[in-house]
Parts: sequence; structure tokens; C-alpha cells
Amino acid sequence: MGSFHPLRAASQGTGLLYPEHIPTSLLQKVLLTAGSAGMALYNPYRHDMVAVLGETTGCRALRVLRDQMKRDSEGAQILQERPRISLSTLDLDKLRSLPEGSLGREYLRFLDVNRVSPDTRAPTRFVDDEELAYVIQRYREVHDMLHTLLGMPTNILGEIVVKWFEAVQTGLPMCILGALFGPIRLSAQHLQVLVSELVPWAVQNGRRAPCVLNLYYERRWEQPLKALREELGITDPPVHIKA
Amino acid sequence: MAAPRSCALWGYCGRGWSRVMRGCRLPGLRSSWPGSLLSARLLSQEKRATETHFGFETVSEEEKGGKVYQVFESVAKKYDVMNDMMSLGIHRVWKDLLLWRMHPFPGTQLLDVAGGTGDIAFRFLSYIQAQHRRKQKRQLRAQQNLSWEEIAQKYQSEEDSLSGSHVVVCDINKEMLKIGRKKACAQGYKTGLAWVLGDAEELPFDDDKFDVYTIAFGIRNVTHIDRALEEAHRVLKPGGRFLCLEFSQVTNPLVSRLYDLYSFQVIPVMGEVIAKDWKSYQYLVESIRQFPAQEEFKEMIEDAGFQKVTYESLTSGIVAIHSGFKL
Repeated sequence: MGSFHPLRAASQGTGLLYPEHIPTSLLQKVLLTAGSAGMALYNPYRHDMVAVLGETTGCRALRVLRDQMKRDSEGAQILQERPRISLSTLDLDKLRSLPEGSLGREYLRFLDVNRVSPDTRAPTRFVDDEELAYVIQRYREVHDMLHTLLGMPTNILGEIVVKWFEAVQTGLPMCILGALFGPIRLSAQHLQVLVSELVPWAVQNGRRAPCVLNLYYERRWEQPLKALREELGITDPPVHIKA
Repeated sequence: MAAPRSCALWGYCGRGWSRVMRGCRLPGLRSSWPGSLLSARLLSQEKRATETHFGFETVSEEEKGGKVYQVFESVAKKYDVMNDMMSLGIHRVWKDLLLWRMHPFPGTQLLDVAGGTGDIAFRFLSYIQAQHRRKQKRQLRAQQNLSWEEIAQKYQSEEDSLSGSHVVVCDINKEMLKIGRKKACAQGYKTGLAWVLGDAEELPFDDDKFDVYTIAFGIRNVTHIDRALEEAHRVLKPGGRFLCLEFSQVTNPLVSRLYDLYSFQVIPVMGEVIAKDWKSYQYLVESIRQFPAQEEFKEMIEDAGFQKVTYESLTSGIVAIHSGFKL
């Protein structure tokens, strides 16, 4: 009955490593990588394609990340407790009541100003290891935190800057590809600012900062953003980008 | 007792309870078995009988209809694009071939079941209109000494280009019908079309209504194929024709391996990249494998009462056109 449906015999949940898991063969991963990369370039609004690209290419980088997390005490706790950032787990009222300048308050402001929600992140599907699937999910959910830490909006310029930071920090091929190919769609003026000031700043900060996945953000909502930035060695952006 | 026993055993091997019941018309069969054995067997068979396949998954029969509905609801918008991409445009040739086999004449009443986005219906209307135009041309050529104005007038006359031909598009899924209607407006098909929401297993039409019944790439999604075939038989006029275009089994082993590779490796990926939907396209390729082969399907059509049932395999058996008549 079709010898090339490797793990679809895994119906009814058997053989699935986690609920959303779709087992894929090597050929399928290659095709997905090519297809998602092409589609993401063709239609930049297909964020899901960027996510898929990350999943199919991130195997090695995710393992390195996971090991980094294991070595750090806070990171190991995250791996154990598996916290998730979503509207259902966040206490929005409490965050709103926090003092100005705290991580929680600034994060909420970032969500409001850019009109995004933590729930728009698609679940991991194509990673064939359950722990690594969590690591990449955590990376996605922490992405918004990085926007807040770096002070970058969610327009294309801000996203590229964050991608450069993430590429240096995580080594995920998807981040590297996004950082290198994202600027294709930028205007000349933006490109100039990007190359001359923003990228060097992002790369410097990315190198200097410890692994950002090792921060238990859910326990640091009250920490003032400035203090957190100092702890990580993140300086203010050289150019202020409007949302 | 040998004959009834082997007949019943064949039934217990899971070939289909209904077929056994129809096959074993020997009188007193049921009463001759020890009561408790039969009732125990009946129970286990009944439990198995209410389960069916959804691709390679096993689901209950009640569930299957709902799940298929969800699949088509989610693929409706990208249905045509995906058809083109997955079959590399060949599905257009298959559908054209179906019309050529049908060879409808003006005045034909067509029922296109599971016709959703209208591919067969629009081809039918175009075919009839093309026939009409050819007829007009022939008539004009036969007449001599006409002035240019008279010729132009003949072409522009309000004569009904369809001459009474009509197609009813019936589908169980609202989203697919919506897309179909939008396409009809966009492509300029205004007359001769009707859109009906209905279930192939229980058609909302009277007996003996249609000249031709078609179902293209729809019957494998029906939960009870035999019921759909019986309904087809019911709504056709005596002399009416049943035509089914459906994926079938490939006989050539090399083509089969390539086809499997393409189906299972490439198509779900295409579904994810283009339509953001891996699972629906996974269901699609699996449902193709679950559908009976050409001969078996031919027998099912004959069981429903059709005669002169034939089939024609296209593209090495990837699809087949089955045809039968209600006589």
C-alpha cells in the first residue's frame, strides 16, 4: 500500500513524538527546505514558511542550543519546566500593573504598539526530536522578547536586525538565511542604515550577550529593562527605528 | 452445507457484510446456523462494519463525512491552483477526455455530483456552445448569396446557444460551491447552470431526471460508495449514462513506484508550501490508495444496476473513466 509513506502508518498518534508532530523523510525535508525558502522570498507575509524552514534546517544548531541550555542553571530549569508564552499563560493585567520600564510592562507595550500577539506562532511540526521541538518553540516565543530587549519594531527593518542578532546567538540556518536574504526587499536608504550601523551593532551585541534562551523571562517580569540590558551587555540601538 | 459455509466464511474475511448478504441468496441460510455463533459473529462484524478508512487512518463512519467536509472546506480556495500544480496541468486533459467520451448533444440534462468548483460543468457548457457554433457555421455555409449584414445578423441572433441543455452542479460542501459560483461569474457562464447543495448518498432529486450523471474525483470521498451508485442509478432516466472519472490503480510497476514516490513525498510538501495544509493533501494521496481498482469498481457499478459497464485507464492507470448505462 505505497512503500513511500514512511511514518504515515503513524496514524492515531502512535509513532508521533509530540501531538503536532508530522514525521518526514529526508527527501521531504529537502523539498520542504527548498519550497519554504522560495515561498518565503516570494511572499514575505508567509511567516509560516520561515518557521518551517527553521524546523527543517535547524537540527544541528538546535542540538548545540539545547546543550548550551543544559549547561546553564536557568536554562536547565527551562528545559525541565517547559514554560510557554501565550495569551493563556500570561497574566496581562498583572503585566499592565507593573512599573514603567520593567520587562513585563515594556513587553506588553511592544505587543500593543506593534499589534502582535504571542499566539500567532505556529506549533513545531517537522522536528524529529521532542526536546528539540520544545527548544525551537521556546526560541520562537522568545523572539518577541528580543524585539523588546533590542528595541526593534516588527517592520521589515526591525525584523532583519533581530534576525542578525539571532543568527549570531543561535546559529540557526534559518536566521542566517533570513539575515542575508531579508535585505533584498529593502529600499536603498534603509539598506544603507542597516549595513553601516545596525548590523555591526546587532552582531556585536549578539556576540557579547550570553545565550538569550537561558533567561527565564517569566520570572523576570518585574526586572527593569535597563538592568536586564546591562546584565546581557546590550547597548542602546544606534538609530531609533519607528514602528 | 459446504456452499453456504464457504460463502459465509468469505464474508467474515472482511470483504463487506453487505456483499455477503447479497451474494448468499440461498434460502434458510441464516436460520441454519447455530443461533449463538451467528449472533456473536454478527456483533463483531457490526462493530467492524461501522468503521471505515479516512486515508490510512481508521475512523467511524459518522466521523468520516465530517472529516472529509473539513478537508474540502480548507482546500477550497486553493483547489484549482493545487490541482494544476500537483498534476502538472494534466487534470485538464483528463477532464476534457471525460467530456469527449460523454459527447453530449444539445438538450442534454447533466447532473455533475461532487462538482464543487465547476470544472466539468463549465466544460460541458463550452462543449455544447462549440457544437452550436459549428452548426451555425455549417448552416451559413450551406446557404448562398447572403449579404454581409444578413450573415452578421444570423450570428447575433438571440437564439439559445444551449438549446435546452442544462447542468446541475451538486456538492456537499458549501465552500466548494461558493468558489464554483464565483468562477462561473468570472468566466461568463450565466445560463444553463444550477448549483445545489446535496449529499451524493441521498440526492435531492426525483427519479428518472437526468440524461447523464458525472462524478469527477469525488466518489472516493464518499463514505458509502454503493449508496452513491444506487442514487446515481435512481436519478438517471432510462437510457441515461453514468460516467465516473477517478484515480485508480497503476499496473505498470515502474510507473507505480514513481507515482508513489511523487504522491507521498512531493504532494504533501506542495500542500504545505502552497496551501499551508499538509494534512489535507496527505489525506488526498492516501484516499487514492484506498479506492478500489478498475475491475472492482466496475463490479460495484454493475451491482448498482448499471449495464454495459466499461472503463478506460488513462496515464498508465493513474486515472480511469468508468461508464455505465441505465437500461
